[in-house]
Amino acid sequence: MAQTAGLIQFSGHQHFRHRLVLSILSGKPVRIDKIRSDDKNPGLRDFEISLLRLLEKVTNGTVIEISVTGTAILLKPGIIAGGALTHDCPLSRSVGYFLEPVVMLAPFAKKPLQLTVRGITTDEHDLSVDLLRTVTLPHLQLFGISDGLELRIKRRGASPGGGGEVQFLCPVVKQVKTLNFVEPGKIKRIRGISHAVRVNPQFSNRMIEAARSVLNRYIPDIYLYSDVYKGEESGKSPGYALSLLAESTTSALHCSEAVSQPGVAPEDIALQASRALLSEIKAGGCVDRQHQSLILLMMVLGSEDVGRCRMGEPTARTIQFLRDVHSFFGTSFKIVSAEPLDKECVQLLYSCYGIGYINANRTLA
Amino acid sequence: AQAASSNSRRRKDWTKLIYSSQLTPEEVLAGKEEASVDEEEDDDDGEFFRFKNAPRQDEDEELDSSRTVWKEEDLTKWEDEELLDSIRGLFITGSAPA
Repeated sequence: MAQTAGLIQFSGHQHFRHRLVLSILSGKPVRIDKIRSDDKNPGLRDFEISLLRLLEKVTNGTVIEISVTGTAILLKPGIIAGGALTHDCPLSRSVGYFLEPVVMLAPFAKKPLQLTVRGITTDEHDLSVDLLRTVTLPHLQLFGISDGLELRIKRRGASPGGGGEVQFLCPVVKQVKTLNFVEPGKIKRIRGISHAVRVNPQFSNRMIEAARSVLNRYIPDIYLYSDVYKGEESGKSPGYALSLLAESTTSALHCSEAVSQPGVAPEDIALQASRALLSEIKAGGCVDRQHQSLILLMMVLGSEDVGRCRMGEPTARTIQFLRDVHSFFGTSFKIVSAEPLDKECVQLLYSCYGIGYINANRTLA
Repeated sequence: AQAASSNSRRRKDWTKLIYSSQLTPEEVLAGKEEASVDEEEDDDDGEFFRFKNAPRQDEDEELDSSRTVWKEEDLTKWEDEELLDSIRGLFITGSAPA
């Protein structure tokens, strides 16, 4: 059944995860060369190797060839298998780095995925497990992926020691629904999770108070939850963070987060998170900026109908993602101003014709 | 809102910038204009030609991360009361913008 489709080639280490995901979903082999070939320390990093191993586990029959120098890889995708899996992530990136691509693949697996990952649960580079749980997963629900979709945070692990553990449960779907999300609505509530591990639990409350001082002026419906993990559940390193999300009347979500830094007071961390949230709200649209690629991907895979979504301007990542999507699936988006008559409006309307991606793996079962 | 508008520049043609331009994503966002490139030639055989190998700085590698990186000034500008008030209309408690 697998047709020998053309090899797709890329250069450079950037956008590594997107390209692997697109290769696996499209069934087209991908070759990436010149991976940090000019770098003092050339080749793949440990977290990239680890991601390849994880993708090997999630799929069945995937062939990965890495060149001797580590500067080129060839991936021939197999089928997405799913099932019960465990993965230990290196401490160079948090588990968010590994879960983001898995979230894109898991709905199309043969069996529902139950993936346990261990490592750092919150750091300053990737989406934390709190945002994945409260923002990323609801974004999947827009496409009809909902029953049994869950992220359980069993233990937290701050950088650099890690020691956290989360379990990601994802159902399989036959096909994703076409998205039609053009009404951003107005922000009706703000939620947040403030957590502190291996430091004074009072830090968590201090962050909440500081965030409220900024956000209370807008809306009374603010509930910031102080999440306390003790003993074994709190990982190996001290740290704290505040993640915030704003929900609109049409269930559009915008989120932000700030993580503890040495020498910065919890109040200032909370201010960073709150102000970042205001910036996201100001950018507007129906979808959080950090989830543009996820939404666009699901729109491409949607049933053979026109999907539409209103969002802010694409980020640099999103632009490259759209180009890569075009390389793998041949689908291009139509992107026009959301309100052509309003010169002030910087929001855009993205629309595309779904390719009608059917989860063929599932029917094999 | 009118006061803060620096959007007098004409709108970007995103579809064109994304699908038929040789600019890197960063250049597209920076609003760089494309020198008239013969698009036809490079378009078909694709991706390989899209990424110009700009000299890489080893120390400051751009991370493969979907998290928004905020600049200091993007956040500190929210100390301004006027800016804080300007987004009230986006909340249900705020009155609709005129």
